Amino acid sequence: MKKKLALVVAPLLALTMLVGCGGNKATTQKGDSTNQAQSADTATAQTGSDVLVFGQGSEPRGLDPAFVDDGESSKVIVNIYEGLLAYAKDSTELEPCLAESWEVSEDGLSYTFKLREGVKFHDGTDFNAEAVKINIDRQLPPLRQEDMPYASFVFADVKDVEVVDTYSVKINLTKKNTAFLANLAMSLAAPIVSPAALEASGGNVNESPVGTGPYKFVEWNPSEDIVLTRNDEYWREPAKTKNIVFKFIPDNSARIVALKNGDVDMIDGIDSTGVAQIEADGNKLYNVAGMNINYMAYNTTRAPFDNVAVRTALTKAINVPELVKALYGDYAELATSILPSFMPGFSEEIKQIAYDAEAAKSELAAAGFNQPIKMIVYNNPRPYNARNKALAESIQSYWSKVGVEVVIEDYDWTTYKDKVIAGDYDVCFYGWIGDNGDPDNFLNLLCDQNAAMNVARLNDETLKEMITEGTSTEKGPERDALYTKAEQYIAELGVWVPISHANSLSAYSPAVQNYSYHPTGNIFFREMYK
Amino acid sequence: MSEAQMNENKQGKLEKPESEIKQMWSALIQNKAAVVGMVIIGFLIFIALFGKWLMPYDPNYADLSVNKQPPSVAHWFGTDEQGRDIFSRVIDGTRVSLVVGLTAVSFALCIGTVLGAIAGYKGGKIDTFIMRLMDIMMSIPNILLAITFMAALGRGIDKAVIAIGLVTTPEYARIVRGSIMAIKDSEYVQAAKVIGNSDTKIIFKHILPNVLSPIIVRATLGISTAVLETAALGFLGLGVQPPYAEWGDMLGRARVFIFEAPYMLIFPGIAITLTVMAFNLLGDGLRDAFDPKARS
Repeated sequence: MKKKLALVVAPLLALTMLVGCGGNKATTQKGDSTNQAQSADTATAQTGSDVLVFGQGSEPRGLDPAFVDDGESSKVIVNIYEGLLAYAKDSTELEPCLAESWEVSEDGLSYTFKLREGVKFHDGTDFNAEAVKINIDRQLPPLRQEDMPYASFVFADVKDVEVVDTYSVKINLTKKNTAFLANLAMSLAAPIVSPAALEASGGNVNESPVGTGPYKFVEWNPSEDIVLTRNDEYWREPAKTKNIVFKFIPDNSARIVALKNGDVDMIDGIDSTGVAQIEADGNKLYNVAGMNINYMAYNTTRAPFDNVAVRTALTKAINVPELVKALYGDYAELATSILPSFMPGFSEEIKQIAYDAEAAKSELAAAGFNQPIKMIVYNNPRPYNARNKALAESIQSYWSKVGVEVVIEDYDWTTYKDKVIAGDYDVCFYGWIGDNGDPDNFLNLLCDQNAAMNVARLNDETLKEMITEGTSTEKGPERDALYTKAEQYIAELGVWVPISHANSLSAYSPAVQNYSYHPTGNIFFREMYK
Repeated sequence: MSEAQMNENKQGKLEKPESEIKQMWSALIQNKAAVVGMVIIGFLIFIALFGKWLMPYDPNYADLSVNKQPPSVAHWFGTDEQGRDIFSRVIDGTRVSLVVGLTAVSFALCIGTVLGAIAGYKGGKIDTFIMRLMDIMMSIPNILLAITFMAALGRGIDKAVIAIGLVTTPEYARIVRGSIMAIKDSEYVQAAKVIGNSDTKIIFKHILPNVLSPIIVRATLGISTAVLETAALGFLGLGVQPPYAEWGDMLGRARVFIFEAPYMLIFPGIAITLTVMAFNLLGDGLRDAFDPKARS
């Protein structure tokens, strides 16, 4: 009897367990979909090809192109906004975008743009000449604000903007600027923001971006992700993938693991240590020469670093070629100049301060240098320097070999930028990703009045004259020679220690189609899908 | 002349009872795990004291031309990203870990004992005030609280000692308070009061020695926690200033090389594990040895 009972009970129990499991599963699924619905109105987002997830090392500083200057913001911005001009897919060749065509006056001081008709911002506002004027005017004096890092660069020589008719706009310059058109294709300052959104947000759309681009902003979860969704009313063919998620994963190896696990479809900020793993995981590497410079800068406003002899002696103690080989392996090129080798103005003739530890020691003694150095560094990987702190520590050890003590302070990127602006450092690390392929875009950094750009805080009249001459000269060998000369002059001032040009390394899952990563460090998702 | 002494005199030879410490010691050395723990701790202390002469290289000397070398005859544990000898750095890190572990625990023990004793002995509002404060501290996870303190105090090993010491204080305060509450109404304490001893003297001379064993056990186990927390702070980049060596910091900076050069993680990892295990084994052994019921 007992046996019989057991025979009946056992299958019943088993059934109950099965039902139990099934029930659990159902609940989980339900839970998941509720989360999705909450997290972005993208109920279908997490399934199949409706979403592409990009893993990046740091959170954007903001999403208003006028108020940011970092690559992490820029990658998001280029998918939401557009400028009058754009770059070609894999180069910095100029193409029409929101402007269909343009004419330059004979004296090179007036640019008349014929705007594309029928384009609408994501909020329904019409794109027209008035919108262009509002966008440029807010970045010109007297409306220009202190925290518009790129305004003084992109619109440097702009005198005023005239609305000719609804779809024509005329921009007048104070002096000739060869790089002006290239500047208008940049991802910072130049993209056009909806005037209605600007008005509604009090002039800063850092947290509520509205543009004309292929994707619309959905939400930003701090320290987590940014979600974009397709703009179905886009003036060109709408994007192939419905949703884009930018996920913030600060740790390099965690980002690689996320790619392996399929949590993200693409990542950037990869260093040489992760390459083998990415390939072993069956993911693809995108490795191209990068338009960037990774450098160390002396704070030239602080004694004794205002003294060129001290800077030169300190730089002589650093064996840059050895350091680049050891830290970056095959994934960065030694920087023999500030400009990468493929840019106009680059020359092999430029001589940087060469390594000579003995000379460094005696010159430091001769200059009476005897104090600890306060060095600040970012502890997030950057596209131009994935070994962030390790670079600072290498230089610390080179200097300790010539008897110089270094105190390193490291901060996360966002805090770091504030520290740089505050200026309490002897030496800092920074980098630059080219925006427009023009040498002025790199070398003008050392003349910029904004401390967030000119981290060496250099104020040198001779250099300023050289750079001004460059911007008013027509493109060609003559102009290139001017920049080569400026480079050599900077090298002799010893204000920067150029370290490396990082290869532009990003990785993606083989399922992703049409993947590409722009030399400007941006990624355009419109044609990608999986 | 007391009665006992009189008895002893009368009978001539009275067998002296074995002292408590002796009994504990014999119980302890019979516990194999505890002996292993003691041997490892002895070894670590030796390394911490004489490591300077054992290190084949200057632990902070970087030579980028030989960075990321796997273990070899020249570099037993290999070299790190900066080209420093990992063997020398592990040895150098021993001193840091032990010093932080011991000083943090001593720090916590002193403050915790005083607070716990006052709370337990005085009772009333003082007790409530002190113990609620301790409860609040205990309600926050140790490592989070330590990170908060580090953020406020700044980076550095001396600050790590204070941070770890502060966050573990409540544990000692609780143990001491409990033990004192259990004992303060006993007759000998009443007697000491009647004779006119001061509170301080009663607490430190008459009560504390009698509640010492749970405190010692807790402190021994506490060292392993402190070592682990030091490593955790180091791992998060809040420990020593570069270029100095600390195990957690070594682990933290080596973790990006987990695929490429796993030896960079393995050796500091082993060092942390061994140290934590040794103090845990000894602590467990001590607890058993102090417990008369557990002694066979």
